[in-house]
Amino acid sequence: MLKDLIEKHLLEVQKPSRYIGGEVGSVIKDKSKVDVRFAFCFPDTYDIGMSHLGMKILYSLTNERENYWCERCFAPGEDFEAIMRENNIPLYALESLDPIKDFDFIGFTMQYELSYTNVLNMLDLAGIPIFSADRTQELTQIVVAGGPCVCNPEPLADFFDIFILGEGEEVNLELMDLYAAMKKQRASRDDFLRKAAQIEGVYVPKFYHFIYKEDGTIDKLEISDGAPEIVHKRIIKDFDKVFYPDNFVVPFTEIVQDRASVEVLRGCIRGCRFCQAGFIYRPFREKHTDTICREVKCLCENTGYDEVSLASLSTSDHSEIDPMLTALLDYTVSERINLSLPSLRVDNFSEALLEKIKKVRKSGLTFAAEGGTQRLRDVINKNVSEDEIMNTCRIAFEGGYSSVKLYFMMGLPTETDEDIVGIADLANRIIDLYYSIENRPKGRGVQISISCATFVPKPFTPFQFEPQDTKEMIEHKQKLLLDSVKTKKIKVSYHNPEVSRLEVILAKGDRRLCRAVYTAWKKGCKFDSWDEYFNFEKWMEAFSECGIDTSFYANRRFEYDEILPWDHLDYFVSKEFLIRENKTAHKSITTPNCRLRCSGCGVNKKVGRECF
Amino acid sequence: MIRVRATFEKCGRAKYISHLDLNRCMLRTFRRSGLPIWYTEGFNPHPYYSFALALSLGFESSCEILDFNLNEEMPFDEIRDRLNAVMPEGMKIIKVAEQKQKITAITEAEYSFSLTAADTDRLFSDVEALLAQPEILIDKKTKKGIKTVDIKPSIKVIVCEKTGNSVDMAIRLPAGTQTNFNPTLFIDALRNMAGEPFEAEKIRRTGIFCENNEIFS
Repeated sequence: MLKDLIEKHLLEVQKPSRYIGGEVGSVIKDKSKVDVRFAFCFPDTYDIGMSHLGMKILYSLTNERENYWCERCFAPGEDFEAIMRENNIPLYALESLDPIKDFDFIGFTMQYELSYTNVLNMLDLAGIPIFSADRTQELTQIVVAGGPCVCNPEPLADFFDIFILGEGEEVNLELMDLYAAMKKQRASRDDFLRKAAQIEGVYVPKFYHFIYKEDGTIDKLEISDGAPEIVHKRIIKDFDKVFYPDNFVVPFTEIVQDRASVEVLRGCIRGCRFCQAGFIYRPFREKHTDTICREVKCLCENTGYDEVSLASLSTSDHSEIDPMLTALLDYTVSERINLSLPSLRVDNFSEALLEKIKKVRKSGLTFAAEGGTQRLRDVINKNVSEDEIMNTCRIAFEGGYSSVKLYFMMGLPTETDEDIVGIADLANRIIDLYYSIENRPKGRGVQISISCATFVPKPFTPFQFEPQDTKEMIEHKQKLLLDSVKTKKIKVSYHNPEVSRLEVILAKGDRRLCRAVYTAWKKGCKFDSWDEYFNFEKWMEAFSECGIDTSFYANRRFEYDEILPWDHLDYFVSKEFLIRENKTAHKSITTPNCRLRCSGCGVNKKVGRECF
Repeated sequence: MIRVRATFEKCGRAKYISHLDLNRCMLRTFRRSGLPIWYTEGFNPHPYYSFALALSLGFESSCEILDFNLNEEMPFDEIRDRLNAVMPEGMKIIKVAEQKQKITAITEAEYSFSLTAADTDRLFSDVEALLAQPEILIDKKTKKGIKTVDIKPSIKVIVCEKTGNSVDMAIRLPAGTQTNFNPTLFIDALRNMAGEPFEAEKIRRTGIFCENNEIFS
């Protein structure tokens, strides 16, 4: 039995409880009584994957259906992978400990580009052919993917049978229903894929063939097997009524986000021009305070967690934020539960709100200012003024805070040296502000941490056309920032720009990159998002062996009238809108948030109603 | 405030829950049970509970001890049942009772395990030879570094028998606040003899004792 083989080696590895299941809240079913088995795979380790909210939602949702069984599967750590390979332990799911190669669906959630090689590694560990074309003609082992990265899934297209665009709560079950029905009819894999392609939100890449021009850009897209010309993403119309789990799998070992979590809103009204999430998750929808309170209470009682967080892209944009926090705090304080509120924005960070948060816990203050000067913040549509940043810092300092974390991006469109120096200037003015406050925290110096990421232009944002800065440009800007910081009260840290370069190549890449992803994995690339594994040289070797010029994807401006690798996928924001916003950005003009004025992104037309 | 003592088993998949993780796991189990757990009254109130002895990762046990306090009196069986309703797979409260002895009264713990080898007879004579030695020296890791100790005087052999394809043993070792010997010390000593290669399986804590062989309760 596989279980005995696993247990024989389990004590040789780090944190063995990650590999054996049995957690409270995990769902066990009798496999002889289920029609469809779904392996929900997260292409990273347990600690990271178990923190992912989407998996918890879809896991519970699928398991609500008596005849479907959804199980979890993660990438093993290097130590366990070696043991698995040596002892022929195939990748298995945590509930049944059965090999996932025997499942009907093997579903991956693609949350970041740097997890692509892990997918290949997991398929290989599972004993599933890596290329879709090499899989059996029988109706089994359907490899699917969802998540934000599938808004441009082309660099993964050769490995997957199906991509699911948008929100999975409805379409996943529709797909499984179709599968269950066709399995009974003993249909073939291709029959199923052809029918599946007719479901809204389902993209079957093998029915789409790209023809390229001599200059490397896309000439046209040829579609076969009656698949739709445009694949539209799926959304949940009535978000307040959408299924939400009343229980989570509660891990034994500590995971990254080890708490209950309730999704309070979906979408974002802000329209920051660099932010993919801000566009692909539109329209903005929120849950009622009552719904949120009910879900918080239910989850805390069932999981036993003593911490709950409110999940969203921008929690303070909830129209009922004040009454919601009041109601929630009533419950959490009396039950000794910590309420954590990530994703709060600077501009609506009121004194009253801060008071409420302080009641819970004094954690760090983090502001995503993103740009060092007002001009640049206007370009990226980060509608935050310096006055607002200063005001919030003042409130925070008066409330006893003495350290502030500031997030910036480097390499943004139109950025000049002045904008980089502006980052240091802003930090200096925050320091001056601190010492000008009379009732600042006693006996403590101020500490400003600046964290700089390299800008990665992403599909379905107004910056999708933009090139990324070259390595030389980024290095110059990094040095300039370091030279501009003249006090130890400011600490500067960076993301590795080589990581960002790989990200942009994969994010904006086309189907020709599949070979390179495969080659990179063959060369040993995996866990690319982990500093200790990331190997840029191997990736560059892979690209060059596959005849790929990386600057074509990373450093080239994509033309407005060019056919983009993701143009046949519809995330509801129109390309005209993205072009308009791109032009507005270059004029340093901001676009107000969706509540103030509709910016005409096109989502309302697709949904068939106004957003507000 | 009522002080209670639960005896629980930790078997099957639950043996992979480390001691640190077990702490967190119990905290959540208490919360799920809805029992009126007593919280400390300090600056950062937290439920008060403690385990009598830590159990090594990978060991099973039928006799783990967990002490905690309740705000109000309730039948011991109800406490047991409410916890068992929300315990993870492999963990089960056997009984809940009052705290008779102090944790510091613990002196020994008993462990059972199976040794398997290609040649059980040879393995059995290795075990007999080891136990016949005047002293069994092992390198024990302590906070101050590695120390050589003689564990021979501390080992009480309760069972040592050859079955069909294994040597089954039960031994008692010092446990508690003073000295704690892990059965792996004995197993490592056997391995160091470099006799018949073997594997140790099914290591399980089966009893916790005080002075005069009295079962700790």
